[in-house]
Amino acid sequence: MIQPQFSKPEDQQERNFKTLVFMCAVALSFTVLLLRFLQLQYTDYENNLKRAEENRIRKVNIKASRGYILDRNGIVLVRNRPSYQISLLGHRLKSNEERDSVFRRVMRITDSTGNRLLDSVATKYFFERSKWQKFKPQRLLEDASDAVIALFEERAEELPGIEILVESRRDYPFGSQGGHIFGYTSEISDKELEKPENSHYVMGDRIGKSGLEQSYEAEFRGENGFRFVEVNAYGREMGPVESMPFIKPVSGNALVTTIDWRLQQIAEESFPDSIRGAVVALNPQNGEIYAMVSRPQLDPNIFSMEKKEFHKQWARVALDSAGKPLNNRAITGTYPPASVFKLITSVAGLESNVITEHTKYKPCFGGYHFGNRYARCWRPAGHGVLNVVGALRESCDVFFYQAGLDIGSRRISAVARRFGLGTRLGLDISGEKNGLIIDEDWYRSRNRAWNQGEILNISIGQGALLVTPLQQTAMIGALAYGNGLYRPHLMKEIQSPNGTVLKKFEPEKIGDGIISESTRQIILKGLDEVVNAPHGTGRRAAVPGVRVGGKSGSAENPHGDKTHAWFAAVAPLDEPQIAVGVVMENAGGGGANAAPIVQKIIKGYFDAKNETLKN
Amino acid sequence: MKKKFVDNLRLDWLFISVLFALIVIGITLVYSATNNPAIDWYKTYWFKQIVHFAIGLVIAILIALMPANFWKNAAIPLYILAVGALILVADSGHISKGAGRWIDIAGFRFQPSEFSKIAYLLASSLWLSKHSISLEKPQTLIFPFLLFIVPFALVLKQPNLSTALVFIAMTLAQFYWAGFRLVDLFLLCSPFMSVIFSATSELYWRLLIICVFFLSIKFKCPIWLISILLVVNIGGGYASSAAWYNMEDHQRSRILTFIDPMRDPKGEGYQVIQSQVAVGSGGIFGKGFGEGSQTNLSFLPEEHTDFIFSVLGEQFGFVGAFVVITLFFVLLLRSIMICRLHPDKFVNLVVVGACSILFFHTLVNIAMTVGLMPVTGLPLPFLSYGGSFVLTCMILVGLLMNMRLKGGEV
Repeated sequence: MIQPQFSKPEDQQERNFKTLVFMCAVALSFTVLLLRFLQLQYTDYENNLKRAEENRIRKVNIKASRGYILDRNGIVLVRNRPSYQISLLGHRLKSNEERDSVFRRVMRITDSTGNRLLDSVATKYFFERSKWQKFKPQRLLEDASDAVIALFEERAEELPGIEILVESRRDYPFGSQGGHIFGYTSEISDKELEKPENSHYVMGDRIGKSGLEQSYEAEFRGENGFRFVEVNAYGREMGPVESMPFIKPVSGNALVTTIDWRLQQIAEESFPDSIRGAVVALNPQNGEIYAMVSRPQLDPNIFSMEKKEFHKQWARVALDSAGKPLNNRAITGTYPPASVFKLITSVAGLESNVITEHTKYKPCFGGYHFGNRYARCWRPAGHGVLNVVGALRESCDVFFYQAGLDIGSRRISAVARRFGLGTRLGLDISGEKNGLIIDEDWYRSRNRAWNQGEILNISIGQGALLVTPLQQTAMIGALAYGNGLYRPHLMKEIQSPNGTVLKKFEPEKIGDGIISESTRQIILKGLDEVVNAPHGTGRRAAVPGVRVGGKSGSAENPHGDKTHAWFAAVAPLDEPQIAVGVVMENAGGGGANAAPIVQKIIKGYFDAKNETLKN
Repeated sequence: MKKKFVDNLRLDWLFISVLFALIVIGITLVYSATNNPAIDWYKTYWFKQIVHFAIGLVIAILIALMPANFWKNAAIPLYILAVGALILVADSGHISKGAGRWIDIAGFRFQPSEFSKIAYLLASSLWLSKHSISLEKPQTLIFPFLLFIVPFALVLKQPNLSTALVFIAMTLAQFYWAGFRLVDLFLLCSPFMSVIFSATSELYWRLLIICVFFLSIKFKCPIWLISILLVVNIGGGYASSAAWYNMEDHQRSRILTFIDPMRDPKGEGYQVIQSQVAVGSGGIFGKGFGEGSQTNLSFLPEEHTDFIFSVLGEQFGFVGAFVVITLFFVLLLRSIMICRLHPDKFVNLVVVGACSILFFHTLVNIAMTVGLMPVTGLPLPFLSYGGSFVLTCMILVGLLMNMRLKGGEV
């Protein structure tokens, strides 16, 4: 040791003491530091380790591909398409200067007509937001067209941070055809997200909002996969995490519908665009729906479009308060059943033995006096004396006024209900309406005076009665089939993505609908003569080589001068395979306007059938 | 005479071993924090850091070998030079990170505030070695205060709060050595504490004033000093709380966030939180050299400069932190021991000043990485990357060696 030179002994002592004080301060503060290290690294170790792992590992969802919708023969009706999103990734921009210059360059991009592609206010907002939502892609342009993508790709070099991301969107290749059946998807709302049953969804997911898309959402959805990636502080993916699982997405199941796309297309094409109304074609033996049309049409593709375009189209749809294109009139439209209801009145009379095939009433001279009221027949010249078959054939109102008064409202309503009128049939898409069947009891239950004259309206299907096109079609099918009323449905089977059948729809009888064979034969005769006899009102529905039977109707209504045209038919009459119902709002008489559409559909059905038989 | 020279040349090998251990650990950590195989080795931070230390070592040896009275004589010219440089930089400093702190000399970036620490250290040591100071004789404090305030104000104006705080820490340590009692230091600091406490906790402020009153009476301060202390404490406190409550919300929030970064976990607090997570996730034994997601994936900010100690904590755990803190303790212990060897007051004051600079840096930096102190941006001696600061530290090491070797001859 070096020998220090002491000047004064107490000086040395003082220096020793002050050195000690200094070292004590150092030791004390270092001890505090070490205690803090112990706290972080020993006591809170687990917690800190967890946070470090959470920092570095991100769960990335891999969206499952949504299930397709097919027609009964395997034609793809609804599928998915790639949709390109021009997005901004904030973390790729190194500085505010770069952000500003990219913004200016992006705003300079114009399409071939010289219009700016991006809205400056919205784009500015996205650029601002990218400062703090660095790792979330900001969607500048949604669902960009190929031409627009090309514009951005050409400039990719000078547009750092701009990326074209791919998303899957729903595609309806046939446009508005079948649109009401399929329904549509759109982004899940905050309210829906809060529901516990929607826990598998995340913000931005699309969910079925109506039609089959809504009913079979759980099948279409599939299961999202996920993977774990290591990310750095700037959100850049560094690679997969080996120890963590990679869960592949499971594609949604495909829905094979009962729709026969050829019939659907015939129905779509033969129904005039300018007229509102609906068409339903179904198999009365099991309830399978072959075709379902509603007008005005709705193209579900607009829900997959970019926001601006969507809003434009949506405004058109939403603002059409008279047409209400969103409504599927086949199930939500309620119309007076009109003369088609005479079938129900006939059955009620025949089954209760109030009338027989030979019962005749006072001749029709174009009207009927009831009390101080004069009820007209649709044909001012009158029909003379007819039995029930003739009255059905020529749709004589006067015959049914008199029959109705004899039968009574309760018997009529009971038969109507037995054939599915007045309540929802339980179709597998939502929105169905009940319609309305009334009788004396209905009036009494509402404390309204029952007026016997109301039977005149009921017996010819006018007045307060309301049915949906679906109910009308199912009713005539069940009447002619005579073996029960089956639940109409659109789902034939559910297939897994590789084609195995997971579920099949079993026909479900929802009403016994059984009538005596004699009654049935009389009704069939009536249906036959409507189409095939010289004076029949539905001669335009006749198909050569097929025994078509049907009934026309012209529903009086408060909206417009012209009646709603009804025609409902079944074929072949001996063993009905198809029932078709058509309603056209304010189109006039059913036989003249609606019957030709029915004819085309039935002809299409049997043409296709013969074709397959030949092959 | 000859024998004494040889005795004096006997170096403190323990000090030198600890120093090299710290330097090697530092370069290793810089390597681990910034390792990027894409960059040529001679452009990497760790290699640049080796160069910094090589230059620093040469300078330290030169400083150590200077004759006995050289630094005493150089004190005044160096001080004038440093203040000149600070004035220059205040006018036309290179703007980096928003604060004018740099001077470019022949392509080298030079930080006058770093060197002003050393110049002030020497100058104030020289003055205090020749004059006694006392709180009760305020006239003795005028000149030391002037020496202090000029570089302090210039550094604070840059603004470089952290370096300014180093000036205060060093001054307090030297005043203590030059004759202040601990109670004097407390009384000297009390007005600043009043300013802080009155705005944050009225109770603490009242307790403080009671302490000031009783301590000043117990240690028999003259009546005029007691009155001044009370007036300054109470007045300062009221002024500060008035200012505090008249502040705009965002100003208040900025100050609070500086004191407690956790108030703003996405902004100011982000660094501290990530640093604590890094340290804590290291556990007792650490994740291993080169491992550690917080460092490798850049969650840790400034990982090779201000937060180098978090890299250590993550990779080597509590064991690593304990070893390095012990090394710092030994280094400071061996340095302050020089005061016991040599009675010369200048030597003592330089050693105390140098030790307090190193200690303050170490304490504040490590405390910051574990969230015990605000983020001030003080680097960690011998471990943090950075040319200017490495040079400052090596100059301090050189001065300490010089004082040890030549202190006996003064």
